[in-house]
Amino acid sequence: MLKYCILAVVLSLFALGQTSHAQDMDGIQKYLNDMAVSVKAADDPAEKRAILDRSFDAMARALDKVEQSPMISSDDRAGINLYRASLQENRDELAGVNGFDRVPDVRLDAFADYSVQSLEQAAEKTITISLVAALLIVIILILIV
Amino acid sequence: MAIQVQNSQSATQAYSMPSRCIYCVAPLLFLLLSCSTVRLPSDVTTSGDTITTPVRYSIVFVIHGDGKYRYHDTVGGSHQADEMALDSAHEIAAQNPQAEAFIFHERRRPGFLRRLITRRDGAFYYYRQGKLLAAESYRRYRKSERFDAAVNLYNQFRAPSELDQTRLFFYFGHEIPEFGGAGYDASHPRETFTVDDLAGGVEQWSRGAGRFDILVLATCYGGTPHTIAGLSPYARYIVASPENLHLSYFDLQPFKQLHLHLTRDSAHAFAEQFARHAFLRLTTEVQTAVTVALYDVDRVASYVTAVDSMYQRVISHREEPAPLLRLPIDCAEEPLFTRPDMHEGVTLFYRPPQFGRARSKRDHSGWECPAL
Repeated sequence: MLKYCILAVVLSLFALGQTSHAQDMDGIQKYLNDMAVSVKAADDPAEKRAILDRSFDAMARALDKVEQSPMISSDDRAGINLYRASLQENRDELAGVNGFDRVPDVRLDAFADYSVQSLEQAAEKTITISLVAALLIVIILILIV
Repeated sequence: MAIQVQNSQSATQAYSMPSRCIYCVAPLLFLLLSCSTVRLPSDVTTSGDTITTPVRYSIVFVIHGDGKYRYHDTVGGSHQADEMALDSAHEIAAQNPQAEAFIFHERRRPGFLRRLITRRDGAFYYYRQGKLLAAESYRRYRKSERFDAAVNLYNQFRAPSELDQTRLFFYFGHEIPEFGGAGYDASHPRETFTVDDLAGGVEQWSRGAGRFDILVLATCYGGTPHTIAGLSPYARYIVASPENLHLSYFDLQPFKQLHLHLTRDSAHAFAEQFARHAFLRLTTEVQTAVTVALYDVDRVASYVTAVDSMYQRVISHREEPAPLLRLPIDCAEEPLFTRPDMHEGVTLFYRPPQFGRARSKRDHSGWECPAL
């Protein structure tokens, strides 16, 4: 059922012409940007940390699901792998594992900004994800969160 | 010296049509005008004008907007980086009473239906003495060379060069490929654009007036030996970012009121002040690495000349598109590109990223090179 829903939404978006290739990472960036805004709005460091953790986890699950989809290309899979690796670095740093010092409580707002900015830069230089793959990621994120 | 400035053809011709025809062609006229005019800043008007003071500063802005330029600020707002750069360029142009300014905004190609009416995907603005004297659209790829249409507009409007005129050039956009270059324009995927193409354009803009005093390259990875070598014949000082330049953003505030601060003799000091200002502004807003470099073109010549042939061999043998994960590196980390004179003529402002594995990298050579 989920597959049909996703297919229907993607086809609808194509039919309506509401998206453009140049903006294909917009939905993902908006998701991360909303995360950063939520982190800054929270008062308690534990809550900030939970928001970051939850958001990174949802994104990782969305990437996993999209990677298994037959609708995406091998180039998309390479882009998704790169993005997943970058996301894992963020998760490791947040938790203080794999050689990272744990992000201090007072630096969580800045870390949220870093997550958004590093993705925006990576999207320009290295991470190439097609419109279809980006839309699928966003749709799954909406369904997960 | 009095100079009469004329608006070029564009929209103004349409208003002189005989009134008996106006009803039959009005709908078509409306469509044509709506497609060929460009967005004017809210605080300026177009008009012919009589100019009596010499033009001491000549400024060229090229702003690339045909790609992914959306970004988010630290309070959640969404912005188009090219529109922000365009607004800054208008501000600079309007706040310099002794300058002329040419602004070229390279926009996305019109959609299919609009393309039946117009293929204009460039917007041009001309200011003199702080007044907007012309605003029109043009077709970017009509001519054989990428910047031919823009250079023609420049030659059409430029004031005669004054002795000791200070000349500035700005390019805003994504990282400019050094090899290949297909797909730089999102809506012209078959066209290519490389550093050599930009150098060719700058050469045309500098023809007859000599080198630009300051060239600002507001892109990611602009501070490479090959890029600086390519632009060197046409500029005295170049400000660029060897690494990522978040949002292609340099704060242009120091370029307002140029007549109070800048002469040809003070160009280096002014460029250094601008680079420092841009760096400090970025460090307040960006958590990723911030690297802003000023290159004294004559003094860096020995280094770029020494490494450029090796550099070109490396980039020309890479697959196209470049393999993923092969991000450029600090040239000082690759022995092939490391030389004792690599710091000569480079003034660098650097702060490592605040998070991630590179946060412990405490210095940078000011040059970025391909990873082997």
